[in-house]
Amino acid sequence: MSTKTTSIIRIGAMLGAATLALTACGGSDSGGGDDDGPITIGVSLPLTGDFAEPGKGVQRGYEAWAADVNDAGGLLGRKVELKILDDQSNADRVVADYESLIAQDEVDLVFGPFSTRLVVPAARVADEYGMLFVEPAGAAPEVFEQGFGNLFYAAPAVADDHYNYLAEWIEALPADQRPKTAAYAAMDDPFAMGTAYGLKDKMEAAGIKTVVDEKYPPNTTDFSSIAAKIEASNADMIVGGTQYQDAVNLIVALQQLDYQPKLAAFSTAPTNPEFPEAIGSKTEGILSPTGYTEQADIPTNKEFVESYTERNGNPPGEDEANAYTTGQVVAAAVEAVGCAEQGDCQQKLIDWLRDNEVDTVVGPLSWDEDGRPKGAHMIQQYVGGDIKIVLPESVKEAEIVYPKPAW
Amino acid sequence: MDGSLFLQSLVLGILLGGLYALLAAGLTLYFGIMRVVMIAHSAFLILAAYLAWFFHRETGIDPLFSLVITVPLFFAVGVLMQRLLVARLRPITLTMMSVLLTFAIALVIEGMLGFVFSGTQRRIQLGYSGASIEVFGARLAVVKLITFALAAASLAALYAIMKYTRFGQALRATIQHKEAAQLVGIKTDRVAGYGFGLGLATAAIGGTALALDATIYPSLHWHWIGPLMAIIVVGGLGSIPGAAIAAMVLGIGQSLLQIPMGTTWAQTIFYVALFATLMLRPQGFFGGRLAQRF
Repeated sequence: MSTKTTSIIRIGAMLGAATLALTACGGSDSGGGDDDGPITIGVSLPLTGDFAEPGKGVQRGYEAWAADVNDAGGLLGRKVELKILDDQSNADRVVADYESLIAQDEVDLVFGPFSTRLVVPAARVADEYGMLFVEPAGAAPEVFEQGFGNLFYAAPAVADDHYNYLAEWIEALPADQRPKTAAYAAMDDPFAMGTAYGLKDKMEAAGIKTVVDEKYPPNTTDFSSIAAKIEASNADMIVGGTQYQDAVNLIVALQQLDYQPKLAAFSTAPTNPEFPEAIGSKTEGILSPTGYTEQADIPTNKEFVESYTERNGNPPGEDEANAYTTGQVVAAAVEAVGCAEQGDCQQKLIDWLRDNEVDTVVGPLSWDEDGRPKGAHMIQQYVGGDIKIVLPESVKEAEIVYPKPAW
Repeated sequence: MDGSLFLQSLVLGILLGGLYALLAAGLTLYFGIMRVVMIAHSAFLILAAYLAWFFHRETGIDPLFSLVITVPLFFAVGVLMQRLLVARLRPITLTMMSVLLTFAIALVIEGMLGFVFSGTQRRIQLGYSGASIEVFGARLAVVKLITFALAAASLAALYAIMKYTRFGQALRATIQHKEAAQLVGIKTDRVAGYGFGLGLATAAIGGTALALDATIYPSLHWHWIGPLMAIIVVGGLGSIPGAAIAAMVLGIGQSLLQIPMGTTWAQTIFYVALFATLMLRPQGFFGGRLAQRF
């Protein structure tokens, strides 16, 4: 029953696409007959269920982007209109949603949903219809290993590249100041391990010896033994592939053993507002990669933060920023190619993004053939009690503090 | 193996074992008195930890002082729980049904914590959380010493109550032979209620101790109940000294095994010990007469 319906929808979609392609060909020089209407953009988001919190964040980001674009006169002189469906965090629904958005509603463009689990099935549907698929979430390796020809991740970097700026900075240090040994502790989780081991590979290539390499299950709460191993190794630098509670517990356990590294970097946790509340005054010098911060002095970011804050009463977070970035990426392609509809236009948009760099609120983005962004995350550090951007040079708010003061 | 790392891990293992001993003592007590498998014990631990965190956040006073409130509160809750819920289970299916009942209570506590305090992970920020003293080259964290001292004091108090008070004698008589205890005039129902309260009071102390040195979140209790259950089986169900010794052995074992095996595999010591106990000595390695009746 349902397969029959889908195949009918697909035939309809193909016919629809063919007609659109025809009209596009016929009207390309004159500017198009029915091109005066709004550009509709289809999105399915987890507004309820497991991912409701980040899902709503992405929704706010998309809506902020649409409002800004319309205030500035629209795309190609046409207004943009979002059509957002709720997939209830369910991978089956997300497929049905994109099918109906593309085939029945005949939206001109689609934006991606939230989270790897939903991005992969949604991208597959968009791929079947040949639609450009830019997505704001889904940094895990499997997203890029599916062979999608239409997918672009609208964020600065995949997990493995989060520490790239830090790696470059360490490699550039004079030999006598460089750390010589490193300890790594990572949660057994693809994202957390990706961040720590991405840096580990680069450090080992640079001749910095790995003296501790600990992987712990996500349910670990007692970190005193891991800390004891790290302390015994007396490594010059400690890198944590962490989420939240693991970083906090590990840092406190290290402090209890009076381990004083020259450099300490932990993913995710230090950018959490709860972090300084939990660690207290001993955060000084802790480094962390981050994909977005409202303070970043990047072109268009200031305007985004201002207009977003005005509309919503609070500054945007990373989910909102990544959604906004998605909008900026698609808009750049649409403006450059000069079309926004189903059919041949989509492939032109895809081809354009393959070869070009786009300026966004998270910095300039470009992609490899699987849709991995080629950038790196900014590096933040606690300096004088506040978390500040220290790398890369172009956007830094403070000088990187090295060696790290005692905690 | 590095000598100082070994010493450090041994010290950490002893401190961890002390905490395990306190947390397991209550659990084995419920079973001893009433043959109740108390799945919600660790949920009450986390509840006490949250209350300590909340108390500290609201008043700014050291979380240890929250014990003044939580210990009597938990004792009362324990008595009420025994009288109103557990006592109503049919004796024949008591052990099995108590698993279901206390599982439900654990879920309710977890849900309420999430509802009231949200799922955000919390930690009490103490001025001395990172402080430590050095003894023979090993570092002893102040918070872990406090935890250990609390555990030792509570276990000593529990032992003294059981051994030297009339209530303790009545409790032990109830544990050993309920019908005989009734024949000599002990009101076993009332004694069982107080015993249950006593067990929950240890959860209040254990939870507060836990909150000093851990990040807490509502579902944390599931990580604790497995190892604690393994400890009381290895120690002999119902035996408090047995639970304490098993806790110490397994705590030190876990800490030392992490050096060669890593965190993931070191956790399995609890379950390996559980299987070995059930195969070789089902009544437990340190259990007394009570355990042998099973």
